[in-house]
Parts: sequence; C-alpha cells; structure tokens
Amino acid sequence: MAAPVDVIPRRPTLLFIVVLALLFVLMSLSTRTRYVGETRTLFERTVMMVFSPVPKLVNWVGGTGSDMYHGYLDMRRSVAENVSLHRKVADLTSENLKLRQTDSDLRRLRALLGYSEQFQLQTTMAEAIMLDTSSRFKSMVIDSGSASGVEVNDAVVNANGLIGRVVLTTKDMAKVQLVIDSNCSVGVLLERTRREGVLRGDGTRNAQLYDIPSLADVHPGDQLLTAGIDGIYPKGIPVGTVVTAEKGPELFKNILVKPSVDFGSIEEVIIIHTRKIPSAVQGYTP
Amino acid sequence: MRWLRYVIGLLLALTLHSLLDSFFPNALAFFNPYVILVVYYSMGGNVLGAIVAGVVAGFVQDAFSGAIFGLHAFSLTVCAYAVATINSRLVLRGTLPFAACLGGAVIVNELVIYILVNVLLRQKVEMFEQGLFVKTIFTLLFGVFVYQLLLLFLREEPIEATQRPMGW
Repeated sequence: MAAPVDVIPRRPTLLFIVVLALLFVLMSLSTRTRYVGETRTLFERTVMMVFSPVPKLVNWVGGTGSDMYHGYLDMRRSVAENVSLHRKVADLTSENLKLRQTDSDLRRLRALLGYSEQFQLQTTMAEAIMLDTSSRFKSMVIDSGSASGVEVNDAVVNANGLIGRVVLTTKDMAKVQLVIDSNCSVGVLLERTRREGVLRGDGTRNAQLYDIPSLADVHPGDQLLTAGIDGIYPKGIPVGTVVTAEKGPELFKNILVKPSVDFGSIEEVIIIHTRKIPSAVQGYTP
Repeated sequence: MRWLRYVIGLLLALTLHSLLDSFFPNALAFFNPYVILVVYYSMGGNVLGAIVAGVVAGFVQDAFSGAIFGLHAFSLTVCAYAVATINSRLVLRGTLPFAACLGGAVIVNELVIYILVNVLLRQKVEMFEQGLFVKTIFTLLFGVFVYQLLLLFLREEPIEATQRPMGW
C-alpha cells in the first residue's frame, strides 16, 4: 500500500523558497513583456477583476458625497450665473454662426489647395478612480475597459495635454501608465523649432527630454507636443514645457520638462483609440 | 473564520488604498496598509498561512498599482515569513512587540523592493532613505493605532495567537 503523499510540504521553509522562486519568475516575465501587449497580464487582470468592485464602490461613494456637497454649493451660485449665462448665450450664438461660416470657408479653401481632412480618431470619456503617483511606478486606474472599446496602447489625455497610455484592460476598468513613469517613453517635438526627441519620465513629477543635440536651439519655456512617430500617441497633443536646458557631458543636452498635466488632480480623461503600433515595435522585448 | 477576518482586512486595506489614491494621490508614499495586515496575520505564528496571506495581499497591491506584477507579493511574502517564523519560536504579544515586528517588516519590505527594482529594472531609486524613514514612522503610527482599536473592540490578540500549528 502506497504511503500518502503530502500536497503541502511539511517544511514551510521549502514552500517559502518555492513561492519566492515562482514570484521571481513571474516578475521577470512581467518585466520582459512590460511594454508589449497583454499576454503577461491574464493573472493580473483576473486579480484586478475580482477586486474591482472595491475601488468602484469607494469611487461611487466618494463621488456621490462630493457631488451632493458641491451640488448644494453650485445651486446657490447657479441662480446668479444663470442670468449672466443667458446674456452670454445670445453673444455666443452669434459668434457660433460666424465660426460656422469660417469653418465652411476653411474646408472649401483646403479642398481647393488639395489638403486632405485629418481623420477623426474615436474617443471615449472615462473617470480616474485610482491615481498612484506616489510610488516609483506612476499609474492610474480608470472606470472604462474593454466593454467601452478601450484597448491596450490607447492614448489617454485631458484638456491640459497628454496623460499616458493604456497598459492593461479588464471588462470595465483599465490601467494607464503615466508619462512621468520612468518606464514610459514618448516621441515628442519642440513646437518652436520642430526638433524631435524622446521624452521619458524621471520617476518624480517631471520628465527628461533625450536625444536633443548639444547645438540644438532649446530654451526654457519651449512647448513640447507629441510627434506622432511612436505609433501610440497622435501628433500635436501638448506634453509639457521645457524648464531647464543645459549642455550635457556628451553629445546631447540635459533637458528637464514639466508636464502640462497636473498629475495630482486628474478626474475626467479622454481615451483616444489609436491602435496603430507597427508590428516591428509590438514584437520588441526590452 | 480566521481567513474571513483576513479577507475583511484585505478588503479594508484595498478600500483605504483606493480612497487615498482617489483623494490624496501621494498618501501611499507615507504608509502601507498591506504590511500592517500581513504583520497582524503573521503574528499568529502560522508560517504557511502567513506565506499565503503575504502572496495574496501582495497580488492585490500589485494589481492596483503600476508596479511590476509580483513585486509587492514577493516583498510581503518575505515579511510575512520572517514575522511568522519569529512568532512561531518566540511568543511575542502586546503592542510593543507588534510595533517592533511592524517596523522591521516595513524596513524589510522597502529593502526587498529596492533590491528587486535595481536588479530587474536597473533603476536608481531616488530619496530611498528619506522615503524609508517616513514610511516606517507613519506605518508604525497607523499600525499601532489599528492594533489598539482591535484590542479595544475585539478584545483579542492577533489572529491565531492561541492556536499554534502542530509540528512547526
């Protein structure tokens, strides 16, 4: 008669070592595939999905409480505002008519010049429910997921500029890697000189601009826009402002950039469904 | 029953995590609720249970932060194992031993993360010493406060304090 086999080892030290080894392998795989696709994230997605009601509930309770408080304050203000808004509506209506006319003129002139209209990218609105800018890895969780058409590598912006890109999705949530994360790179260009470079988070609230030659014309205050060369972010989204531009030890400048988005107070965001990563980039493993 | 209490603790830690992330995005740089939960559970001295508790709490923390998946699971498992092993040999009870275990666990947790980030990502961690100091102090303060509340309202020592695992 065969002796019974212990499924759980009697020596917890052995189990501890096995668990650590497995976790190390999991981390190594996560690190290798951190930038590409969702193959590594099945388990992560499952954990996130199982526990997703908690942050959603917290966000709902917080949002409802905040809405009620602000609703009361807003109600008091709205009466006075209503009167002035009525006047503004009349002004804006006439201005709108003028702009419509200008827009149709512009379209006509573009057609005459042979310019093609820029294609319209599909977008989705979402709300930030968790914002983690305190740790070494800067990320955010939003309340829209694959059910709303959100996919990995969709660009995320708000009215001030670029926030980051989607790195993981569940049915009703998505995780966004912020541009200030030190593992995030963005192809950018200087608005004034059209010089292209690569922006990378420095692990704090700022970012560094790389690949700008020492002789390039860069000054504090220069605005940065997305260059549209990385296959993720559409061209022309404001990214930040140059704070300092100093000569580096080698051929390139050391440039510190302040992002145009205040990462301490993100609420609503817009997800731009870009999905045009070149296959060569998708297959790349750092 | 003890697992039910652990799950409730985990849900509370995640609630606190989401609450702080939603309204005070930098607050989690100052303390870590998951370490408090894992240390509280591991004080019972059940090494196997502590390992599982560390892995699960770490996975939840990883899933809702931008870290490499498995990073916090690794560090919390190390903390849980260390605390549970010490408590399976020495009977540490009361606020001061809990505070000592918690302080040590926070330091170990941060050191493990620091080493793994250096090894796996080859990244330098800025202001590590200052962050470690602040996180240890605030986690200790909050952890001791929670521990006192549990003593006051539940009138009991950490989970499994009176149930030593056989043969370990």
